[in-house]
Formats: sequence, C-alpha cells, structure tokens
Amino acid sequence: MEWFFANASFVAGLALTHLSIVIIPVVLGSILAIAGARLVRARWVPGTTTVLSAVYAIPSLALFVALPALIGTPFIGPTNVVIALTVYAVASMFFSARDAFSQVPSSTKTTATALGMSRFQLFVHVELPMAVPGLISGLRVVSASTVSMAAIGAVVGVRNLGYLFLDGFQRRIPEEIVTGLVAVFVIAMAFDLGLWLLGRALTPWRTRGGERV
Amino acid sequence: MFSISDLAAWFADPVHWDGRYGLWFLLLEHVAITLAALLLAAIVALPVGLAIGHTGRGEFLVIGLGSISRAVPMMGLLFALVLLWGVQLRDFSLLVALAAIAIPPLLAGTFAGVTTIPWGIRDSAKAQGMTGFQRIRYVEFPLATSSIIGGFRIAFIQVVSTVVLAPLVGLGGLGFGIIQGLALRNYSQVVASSLVIIVITILGSELLGFVQRRTADRLSAPHP
Repeated sequence: MEWFFANASFVAGLALTHLSIVIIPVVLGSILAIAGARLVRARWVPGTTTVLSAVYAIPSLALFVALPALIGTPFIGPTNVVIALTVYAVASMFFSARDAFSQVPSSTKTTATALGMSRFQLFVHVELPMAVPGLISGLRVVSASTVSMAAIGAVVGVRNLGYLFLDGFQRRIPEEIVTGLVAVFVIAMAFDLGLWLLGRALTPWRTRGGERV
Repeated sequence: MFSISDLAAWFADPVHWDGRYGLWFLLLEHVAITLAALLLAAIVALPVGLAIGHTGRGEFLVIGLGSISRAVPMMGLLFALVLLWGVQLRDFSLLVALAAIAIPPLLAGTFAGVTTIPWGIRDSAKAQGMTGFQRIRYVEFPLATSSIIGGFRIAFIQVVSTVVLAPLVGLGGLGFGIIQGLALRNYSQVVASSLVIIVITILGSELLGFVQRRTADRLSAPHP
C-alpha cells in the first residue's frame, strides 16, 4: 500500500492511458460485432465463424507485432494495440451477439411483422431490446478481457497499467506489480458493474415489482 | 525498417532455425510448456469439475472463477509469481501461473459437460443401481468429453498466448524472437516469430475444435 500511496498520481496517469486504449476497442468492436451478427448473410456465417474463431486464438503479443507487417503501422506505440484489441472484441462479441439474437422467439418476430413493422422497426423495437440480456453478458466478457489484455500493450511501448508489471519486475518491486493487478481488476469490475446497470436500465420489464417476467 | 524480402531472407537463413534459440528448439519448448501446464491444470480441474457437476454443489465457484480470471491480466500474474518465488524457481512459477490460467476454462467445460446431460440419462443410471462413482466414471464423464475438450481449447488458447510472454521473465518459448527482436529493432525476427506463433496457435485451436466436433457427433449419433 505504501508504494501505491507514494506513486498514486503516476498510477492514475497510467490508468487513464489504460482507459483510453480500452474504450475504442470495446465500443467500436461491440458495435461492429452486433451489426455483423445481424447483417452477415446465413451462407456467409460458417466462413465468418471459422475466420473469427481462428483470429480469436492468436496470442495478443503476436498480433500486436504482426499488424505492422500487414498494414504498415509503426511497431511501437498504441495504434496496433487498439486495432488488435478491436479485432479480438469483434471476434468474441460476434458469437455472443448471434446467440443473443437467436434466442428471440420467432413467434414474437412473426407477430411484430404481422403488426406491420418494417424490418428496421422489427430490429430496433423488438429484436434489439429482447436480445439485451444476451448482448450485455457478451459485453461483460469483452470488456473484462479487453481491459486485462490491454496490459500486454506495455511490451510494445504503450504506457498503460501493464508498465507497472514490466517496471516492477525489472526493479524488483512486488508492490508495483500487485498495484497493477489490483488496478486492472478494479477497472474491469467498474466496466462490469456499469454494463450490469445498463442492462437493468434497458430491460425494466425484467425487474418490475421484483418479479422476473 | 521492414520488408517482405527481408522476412523471406530471415526464414531462409538456417542460423535462425538451429541452436538453443533457433525456431525448432523454441517451438518444441513452447509446445512442451503449454502441454505440461494443461496437464497440471487438468489434474486439478477435471476431478473438481466432475464432482461439482455430479453433486450440483459449488456452481458459484465455477462461475466466480471464470469471471474473476478474465479480469486478471495473465502477464501481471506471471510476473508476480516469479518475483514472489524468486528467479531460480521461475520455471516452476511459470507452470503454476499457466495452470492457474488454464483451470477456470477447464473447470467450466467439465462442469457444463456434466450439467447439460439430460436428466433422464443421469436418473436412469441411478435407477440401474449404479453407485455415485460408477455414474461419474461410466455415464457423466464419457458424455461430458466433448464439452471438456471445448474447455481444453479455450485453456490452450489462453496458455499458449501467455507462454509468449515467458521471455520477459528470462524463460524461452517462441516469444523470445519477439522480445529480443523488439529490443534489437530486428523487425524481421519479430514478424517471423509472430507468424510462427500465429500459425501454431491457429493449428492447435482448430485441431482441438475438430476433435470436439467429432466427439460431439459421436455422442449424439445413434449406435450403429
């Protein structure tokens, strides 16, 4: 604890960088994955699934340093890390989003169509709200793993919370590593709590009167 | 800086394939560490997962471990253990950290495999007079294998990608080329190593996925 109090402002700065690295992948990756899960045509699904599950298996550090060869970004710095984390977010969220949409009962969709809803209205007013619980649980997985994976970005020169691991190890300061572990965990849990609250706010019918419908 | 022809030249040079830090040795080391960690994790996770699935008690442990472990950066865990137990014991620390990473997905796969068996099957095994152990050994474990292999696949992905970080604590594996290459700004070495890592991880994960699907098909197909 002493180490943390003596270096609180330093840690806060790293945490801020960490957040800024994480926010784009989580938001953009989720939007892309949700849109993709709804828009990819049925005959493309097996191919997309194969590619995404292969991408998901790639170790993050390997992807960070392979991207410069593929798209010409600089080896050192945050660009690759943000792109790679977005790719992982898409790969993970695509499957959750497909599951979430497939759990919307087809009778409900038929009813909505019979009421004269257009496909867009059906998506916005029926499918999306009904898929919220599944989407939120997918987002919780994505946000937690993105926050913890982002730490590896420190190896390619991003000064985020992962820097505490590298520096703490090189200078033999266990407190520094523990501070990093706790800080990453706290940020991940904050995302988790926020998403849980968002899920509750978006599905008031599930909790009305303490009774789950 | 970096070009495809440099990369091809790097791969073509036999110096980069042989010796203690050549690709062959590092590849072997990477695979050996990964398998050892998975084995260690399986020794712990399989019996515990089967017991939790069998008794239905302790589900919170499976779910809690799963969500907590996602939020713990593997890199920090590895570094903390190596520092805690000293650099001399770093091989052991690496193995323990990797097993700790592999246990939650294995536990989840085993648990899910047992609990998704239709109740009718588990009840009829009981009605036949099978003891608890017999039910686990001859009914629940065999029927859970496909899900267990699925757990192995997730664990494999996590472990393989953490082994890439091992050179940061002075250990080997294919990450060596990335860490050394970054330090020396030898980007051909960095990209070449990352490509080898990417290929073996995708192959391993696809292989496990294939075995999992085959097992699932075999379990669901009626007997010939």
